[in-house]
Amino acid sequence: MNSLLRLLPYARPYVWHFAGVIVLVLLYNGTSVLQPYLVKIAIDEDITGPHPSVHGLFVIAGLYLGVSLVGLVANYTQVQVLQYAGQSVIRKIRVALFTHIERQSMRFFDTNAVGRLVTNVSSDTETVSQFFTNFFLSMVRDGLSLVLIIAAMYRLDVRIATYSMVLLPILFGISLVFRRRLRERYQATRTRLSNIIAFLAENLAGMRIIQIFHQEQRQARAFGELNDAHRQASVREYRLSVMFNRTFELLGNVAVAAVVWVGGWAVLRHAIPFGTLYAFITYIRQFFQPINSITQQWNTLQSTIVAADRIGKVLAVEPDVRDPEDPVDLTARGPIRGEVAFEHVSFAYIPGRTVLHDVSFRVPAGSFVGFVGATGAGKSSLMSLLTRFYDPQEGQITIDGVDIRRLRLEDLHRVIGLVQQEVHLFTGTVADNIRLFREEISDEAVRAAARAVGADEVIERLPEGYQTRLFAKGANLSMGERQLIAFARIVALNPRVLILDEATANLDSKTEALVQRGLEAVAKNRTTLVIAHRLSTIRHADEIVVLDHGRIVETGTHEALLERGGLYAQLHRKSSVEAVG
Amino acid sequence: MDNPRQLLKRYFLRHRWSYALSILSIVASEIVMVQFPHLLGAFTDALQAGRVNGPALLRYTLWLAAVGIGYVALYGFGQMRNGTLGRKFEYELRRTLFLHWETLSTSYFRQRSVGDLLNHALNDVRSVRDALSGGLNILTNAVFLLASTLVMTFRTVSVRLTLVSMIPIVVVPFLVGWLGPRIRQATRQAQEALSDMADLTEESITAIRLIKATANEAVEQRRFTDRVDAIVRRQMGVFRRSALMQSLIPFMGSLAFVVALTYGGYLTITRQIPLGAFVAFTLYLAMLITPLQEMGFVFNYFQRASASLQRLEVLLTEMPDIHDERDAVALPPVRGEVRIRLNAFTYPDGTRPALHDVDIRVEAGKTLGIVGRTGSGKTTLVNLLPRIFDPPPGTVFIDGHDVRSVTLRSLRQAISYVPQDGFLFSTTIGENIGFSKEGATEAEILEAARLAAFDEVIETFPEGLDTVVGERGVTLSGGQRQRAAIARALLKDAPILILDDSLSAVDMNTEKTIIANLQRARRGRTTIVIAHRLSAVRHADHIVVLDRGTVVEAGTHEELIRRGGLYAEIYRLQETEQGVTA
Ligand SMILES: Nc1ncnc2c1ncn2[C@@H]1O[C@H](COP(=O)(O)OP(=O)(O)OP(=O)(O)O)[C@@H](O)[C@H]1O
Ligand SMILES: Nc1ncnc2c1ncn2[C@@H]1O[C@H](COP(=O)(O)OP(=O)(O)OP(=O)(O)O)[C@@H](O)[C@H]1O
Ligand SMILES: [Mg+2]
Ligand SMILES: [Mg+2]
Repeated sequence: MNSLLRLLPYARPYVWHFAGVIVLVLLYNGTSVLQPYLVKIAIDEDITGPHPSVHGLFVIAGLYLGVSLVGLVANYTQVQVLQYAGQSVIRKIRVALFTHIERQSMRFFDTNAVGRLVTNVSSDTETVSQFFTNFFLSMVRDGLSLVLIIAAMYRLDVRIATYSMVLLPILFGISLVFRRRLRERYQATRTRLSNIIAFLAENLAGMRIIQIFHQEQRQARAFGELNDAHRQASVREYRLSVMFNRTFELLGNVAVAAVVWVGGWAVLRHAIPFGTLYAFITYIRQFFQPINSITQQWNTLQSTIVAADRIGKVLAVEPDVRDPEDPVDLTARGPIRGEVAFEHVSFAYIPGRTVLHDVSFRVPAGSFVGFVGATGAGKSSLMSLLTRFYDPQEGQITIDGVDIRRLRLEDLHRVIGLVQQEVHLFTGTVADNIRLFREEISDEAVRAAARAVGADEVIERLPEGYQTRLFAKGANLSMGERQLIAFARIVALNPRVLILDEATANLDSKTEALVQRGLEAVAKNRTTLVIAHRLSTIRHADEIVVLDHGRIVETGTHEALLERGGLYAQLHRKSSVEAVG
Repeated sequence: MDNPRQLLKRYFLRHRWSYALSILSIVASEIVMVQFPHLLGAFTDALQAGRVNGPALLRYTLWLAAVGIGYVALYGFGQMRNGTLGRKFEYELRRTLFLHWETLSTSYFRQRSVGDLLNHALNDVRSVRDALSGGLNILTNAVFLLASTLVMTFRTVSVRLTLVSMIPIVVVPFLVGWLGPRIRQATRQAQEALSDMADLTEESITAIRLIKATANEAVEQRRFTDRVDAIVRRQMGVFRRSALMQSLIPFMGSLAFVVALTYGGYLTITRQIPLGAFVAFTLYLAMLITPLQEMGFVFNYFQRASASLQRLEVLLTEMPDIHDERDAVALPPVRGEVRIRLNAFTYPDGTRPALHDVDIRVEAGKTLGIVGRTGSGKTTLVNLLPRIFDPPPGTVFIDGHDVRSVTLRSLRQAISYVPQDGFLFSTTIGENIGFSKEGATEAEILEAARLAAFDEVIETFPEGLDTVVGERGVTLSGGQRQRAAIARALLKDAPILILDDSLSAVDMNTEKTIIANLQRARRGRTTIVIAHRLSAVRHADHIVVLDRGTVVEAGTHEELIRRGGLYAEIYRLQETEQGVTA
């Protein structure tokens, strides 16, 4: 419930819409009350009255038509206004949720499956929207009827009306009894559904692996289990909610019988007149109509609460990497030089399993530094710290002498560019992928960037050149071609400090050389940090840092390191094409 | 594959007795419920006439209670059954979808995004289910009420009056026929907008590292907001139409009432019908409004489900383009000779051949190295072997059998493949490696890991093989991920092994270890290695060099160096000091 309340502020801008809905509902209900009244007048005055008049009848019929039209318009407008408000609230929640997710640090994405986050954004919000539409409407409409009926009962006979009110605590009690179990069952269904989604998301993405290893049957079985578990939960939830709704209906019918019994005796003993009993029977029946439709909405409420909880859980996560209170403006201090330094940095993804131990090094502005080391040595982790995907537990990282934690993340990311071995491409044209949908990067700039890294040749070969639409994740390009797009992208952005994390691993050496020359030509004096297993890539670095098990073990130029005869020299020996085993 | 309408029809047929039973019980419940006002009427009449005493009162009370309980029980029974059946259909539909997806080839998945497919499996399936379980109950209810009320009107008042008053109601089917397709269309568009948003969300979150590293959050937000705005617009389009239907149908009831009032009133005034008949008639007409309202509601439900069915139909009628030929036979035990004699191969959506004039032969048990420029067609070439893309018939042979003429299963069983992007599942390391062989023992998994030089890494993890790797293996380093994929392929121990640039992310020491292990473990079995680093193919028995989709050089390492072509040039770049400049 609390989580739902926390979403209420999103509805604030639309209070007037909601107020309008209330007015329209009143209007519509008014017309429904007016209609039988008009018929009554017609019968009393024009048909059976002293002067039956066809003309008067027509007037009434015309009025009736007018009232119905007003009702039609009121109802139609009400739906529009309410749905508009509901959709707008959901729109706001969606945008807020998406923005919030994007602000999270990498730790969040390490542990939250994409499929689940997508359902938070797309389907949980959809469920919550019912709170603002169906539930709200029912509260207004049925609440109104309920109040009117109770008022009518009290006008009729205060004592009997008060007796009838014992129904309220019973109703309330039943709702309470069902509430927890309903919600639990709903939650179970939802959890199992999201298991299905996570499974599907992953297996659809990895379908090729399933097919290559012909594990279709095994995965189908696994899916079958999840699917079945969901079905069972869903049936159980449905049964309970039917039971709940029917219980109320049962109570209503039994209440009528009870009124007949009690009221019947009273009439027999002449305690109340017959008319009062008749009216009460009618009222009790009417009393249960709004109650029944409110209980329908009670189910909706339970599901919206669960959905709101799921959204709330995401919204409650505070990013552990965030902007500082009083950020330093790097550009205000003159042009950025691009000097990077690590000072006694230690870092662990999981507490207790340190990945980097007391790492210190300095990359002078404009230099080219290579990083090598065994796989899993911590090279990529080092770069993740520099881009503040994570914050180190100890030590500090500076750019031009400023601790990167004192910079706004956006500013930091404008200074540092990163190209990784995995390339992410978006559905859209090649040009859009290079400019990353930024409007400020012109087509000309896109072309120039592609030309700089030799990607234009590849792109021109595509059916529609730069306007070719890429498939999801760029599946119609070869791995190396995707890599070239990533390079074009980084040239278009032109950061001061460039990190290449095995970015040329999927390129042949000829293309690699072209790319490196291209990068070089675009920005002189750029600081470049390159991770590579192919040693030829970094042979000419100004300095090479060798990592092993999270520690820096050697630094120096290629020649110096060879001379030293340490890990680098060993790797170099092995890297020779001619080397054996 | 099955079209979902067929599926639905067959489902109905298969469960026709169940559905008959539940609809019957709902109808029965309505018949019981009609007794409720009758009983009450009888009771009040009797009471007014002073014909009620203690036992009679008890009888009336008990009857009322019995009717009330009977109605709830019967209706609840029907409702539960319909709900359960609807959920069963939901289950079957999802299963059909998944099984169908499993038959579709890579070229299909390349064009679809996961977000869109998820939306189908989730929202479309659900809206069909909702119509099946909830919609059916309401429809039965409304039809019954409508029919019984109509019958009563015809019975009580003049047929002429009834017929004339019904004219507006006759419009209802036309209204449904006119608005229905429009609602369906609008709904489909709204669902597509939802799919679009889901797509973008999925894409964005998957690429979050890139987005963060380029400070592109604001741009993504703008793109997301555009999608969400489109949803609002499209949804409002749906509501404009569906609200029209929902309010016009009861309005037709009101119109009927206006006609009844004027015409009936006129008849009464001119004494052509008695007053009582007129009053009764108006009362019955008023009773029509509720079922009409419900019908408007239910028709909307059905339109939405129908739009979803249409979307699912598109999905399910997609034919798998790679499948067993009609007279396919299982591949007999494979020795591992591979022969490729290809004039040209063009991707289904490509404009020019990705490969042409390729003639390669690998003797059983030998190692083939493939090198070549970026985009030269190496991956394309090896994808033809396990038929990830179908080669033209008569071009790719294993042990002399055309791969197109053998069953997919036996073919893929004979081949183990490490794709260029080794995809991992978000389970444990052990399960990922064991994926290629159901029921693999831990010893086998560890042995495969050892061959992939991955065992030492596993030992450094506190949970060992039970370490969970995160989505697509995010919690592993690049080289660790690659080795997990290699271990997975090695566990399968197939006659033919393909490594597509699978050593690109490991360091030189590890590369050497893995190659040495491979040479030992795969002695006498065919291995195909694609690499950019020549050190990884240097030992191969035969090396082919691809450029622009064709083989430009072939031979052993020494022969190729002597030739002084592309291979020699790459060699020079990697080996000599004037290599790559920075
Ligand atoms: N997100 C993460 N969560 C937990 N552990 C991680 C995560 N990312 C990496 N690790 C672990 O940290 C260690 C260092 O990984 P890192 O990616 O920095 O290695 P690397 O030097 O880049 O290796 P490679 O050359 O294979 O890319 C590895 O043992 C890896 O399993
Ligand atoms: N699904 C596809 N549809 C159309 N064209 C494609 C598709 N996949 C790849 N191509 C094109 O086919 C050509 C060969 O691609 P392939 O993936 O075989 O290259 P590759 O030699 O493996 O390159 P790399 O070394 O970069 O991995 C490329 O020009 C690529 O753009
Ligand atoms: Mg790495
Ligand atoms: Mg490739």
